[in-house]
Amino acid sequence: MNAIEIKGLSKTYRGKRGARVEALVDLNLDVKAGEVFGFLGPNGAGKSTTIKLLTGQLRLNSGCAMLFGVQVSDPDARLRLGYLPENPSLHGHMNAWEHLRFVGQIHGLDAQRIKRDSQQILELLELDKDAKRPVKGYSKGMTQRLALAVALLPDPDLLILDEPMSGLDPLGRALVKDIIRDAKGRGKTVFFSTHITSDIEAVCDRIGIVVRGRLCALENVAELLREGVEGYLVRYADKLGCQHEDLIVRDRLRERLDSLLASGATLDAIEPHRRDMEAYFLQTVKDAEACLS
Amino acid sequence: MLPIILMTMRCFLRDRILFALLGAAGLLLLLIPAMSSFSMRQVQELSITLSLSANSFLLLILATLLGSASVWGDIERRYTAGLLGLPLSRRSYLLGKFTGIAVFLLACCAILAVAGLAVIAIAKSQYPAASDPQWWVILLASAMIGLKYVLLAAFAMFFSTLSTSFFLPIFGTLGVYFAGTASQEVFEYLNSDIAENLSPLVKSCAEAFYYILPNFSAFDLKVQAVYGLPLDAMSLLGTLLYFLAYLAVLLTLSVWLFERRDL
Amino acid sequence: MKRSLFLALLILVLISVTRFQVDWLAERPIAVKLGYTPAAEVQRLLAGEHRLALSEMSVIRVLFYFGSLVDKWRNQIMLPPEYFNMYKTVETAVKLDPYNMDAYYFAQSAFTWEVGRAREVNALLDYGMKYRTDDWYLPYFAGFNAAFFLQDYKQAAQYMERAAQLSGNPLFAKLASRYFYESGRTQLGIAYLQGMVEQERDPQQKRAYKLRLDALVVTRTIEDALSEWRQDHDKDPQNIAELYSAGLLAQIPEDPYGGEFFIDEEGKVRTTSKFALARPVENTQQQTLDEIPEAKE
Repeated sequence: MNAIEIKGLSKTYRGKRGARVEALVDLNLDVKAGEVFGFLGPNGAGKSTTIKLLTGQLRLNSGCAMLFGVQVSDPDARLRLGYLPENPSLHGHMNAWEHLRFVGQIHGLDAQRIKRDSQQILELLELDKDAKRPVKGYSKGMTQRLALAVALLPDPDLLILDEPMSGLDPLGRALVKDIIRDAKGRGKTVFFSTHITSDIEAVCDRIGIVVRGRLCALENVAELLREGVEGYLVRYADKLGCQHEDLIVRDRLRERLDSLLASGATLDAIEPHRRDMEAYFLQTVKDAEACLS
Repeated sequence: MLPIILMTMRCFLRDRILFALLGAAGLLLLLIPAMSSFSMRQVQELSITLSLSANSFLLLILATLLGSASVWGDIERRYTAGLLGLPLSRRSYLLGKFTGIAVFLLACCAILAVAGLAVIAIAKSQYPAASDPQWWVILLASAMIGLKYVLLAAFAMFFSTLSTSFFLPIFGTLGVYFAGTASQEVFEYLNSDIAENLSPLVKSCAEAFYYILPNFSAFDLKVQAVYGLPLDAMSLLGTLLYFLAYLAVLLTLSVWLFERRDL
Repeated sequence: MKRSLFLALLILVLISVTRFQVDWLAERPIAVKLGYTPAAEVQRLLAGEHRLALSEMSVIRVLFYFGSLVDKWRNQIMLPPEYFNMYKTVETAVKLDPYNMDAYYFAQSAFTWEVGRAREVNALLDYGMKYRTDDWYLPYFAGFNAAFFLQDYKQAAQYMERAAQLSGNPLFAKLASRYFYESGRTQLGIAYLQGMVEQERDPQQKRAYKLRLDALVVTRTIEDALSEWRQDHDKDPQNIAELYSAGLLAQIPEDPYGGEFFIDEEGKVRTTSKFALARPVENTQQQTLDEIPEAKE
């Protein structure tokens, strides 16, 4: 069973004076269980709309969306879901412990487990020292980490994270990446939106790029990376001992290596030289925009 | 639903504004014995009037603020994004929130009622009336005040589910309060001889409003409590049923509207 | 440092201004004014559930107003009372809360003796009796008014009968008729006022009742002397001094209201003060009670 199934999903907002804004047009997307899926797109492309539809905050105009085979309009669809909203906002009067207990209770976990898991997660996210302080005194990064803790607490089979890296320092980003990798290692599914391409390379299995409410690319990251190899950087020392660096195009690698070895040079390193993810993303968006307008 | 009720109440208990309001009401109650002594012939009656009025006034503020801020405030501060991402139906969220508000209002009402009884006892000791106050009727009148404002809070919440700003919830609720308090008076006026010359259209409009608006006069037992008049058990039961039926309709409508809303 | 100095300076200015303001306010002309009250129907609609409190507040406002007037009279400052507004406010209070005993009580004490509007007060009391069905005070007041001011003894007897039933005290029933026929009008007033003085709690009201009681007691003494005079003479005396000279009075009696007693053409003992502290002042607009509409019976 797929973790996420989206079929023909459309969403139109009614703007001022009857203007209609098409936020999402006929979106079709399946995310398999155990996959880490990156959802990319420029600002206002429909990433957040998709996530809000999946988490039951918006009503669908047409099409259908399911989490683990349950329609998203049914609150039970969110039983196996951990959700991190974009720029999360938490009740200022409550402290971290109370937030986690509340979420645990809503998920129907027993008190013992809530206590044990909360402790563990708060330590993991380095919030244990501030856990008894009301949240209104938290910095942006701390709020983001607590919201992530809230999403992780029920140990969900599916994590939907809306811009999980925003507001975090490099240490925090590394932590989030670790958490995503760890979830994947335990067979969980992760669906996250971002516009930071380097994050994608690090953790994603697949990506989807959405532009103006339309899905324009759906790619396997490993393949993309393989296809994206444009050449190799070869570092070697010639027989006189002088260091050299050469960029060799993909098709001529073998030929070039043979001649180098024949000339008596010693190879130090061969690194694939990729067209990077950012370039791919920008190109895709550009093409799509051109095609749509 | 229980967690959301508890959370709602916990947040109220940590809100300093609410405590300031309760403190102000407490001070007001303390002034009542002194104010009652201005009366020539009905010190005890005046103390009952004032303590019930103070109770009612504080609950009006609380019901309006809490009910209006409930859903609208949660959306405005984007708490709903996280909350509704949980396996929690909008119905449970709304009803839990409302139950939290209702319990809080009733608790405030109970505290003020008990404080009021103490104040009345003090006033009574200053200048005893011909007959002892009917303590149970006073408590019953306080309970009715509580129910009335629970109903008003439901109205505030109803407006809150509709609105994207605080204007409609706050002013809509106050409007309903004033209209609902006056509706019986207007209705009786329209059915008296004085209003014979009024156009039938105006009359039927007013009558329609009378039936649509909540009739808060039914919840007003002040005269009975102050002057120890007999109570009619049937009409009390009728008011209770009216309360339940009206509340059920309002909450159902609120849930229905809220479930259809994009957040 | 600079900022705190500036703040200190500002506070200093505020204190000195406040100081002057206290003086200004102390010297400002004080207008004791009651003013008009909005219509009862409007107040009922606006006050809603708080109309009992509003009713009581209106009565207390009138009470304060009247009290401050009485204080002024005592200090020889004669301000004409806004009787019409007073009556209207009390009437409104009763419409807001028909059970409001303070309103009936005040109407009874303020609009009968001084102003002579017993008929309107009785209409108000009749209205109250429809609500305060087990309160004997209202029929008692009404009965007294009917007998003492209106001299309608049949009506008075009915009221007193009701008061007797409600209080369980048969004395009331006899009060009106017996006192009038046996001892006359003044004695009825004395009996009534004695009762009021005894149970009055408010010192100012108590003083007012006491004053009137004293005046009636003095009147009574003169009346007794007069009837003694009549036993021996065919003609009434010219003045009070004649009674004193005849040894029927121990001293020339003084009117507590500051007037002088005299015997009128009908042979009744009266005083120039008319038993009122407030006398019309020349060149001031006085609100007369004629503005009070005749009460509907």
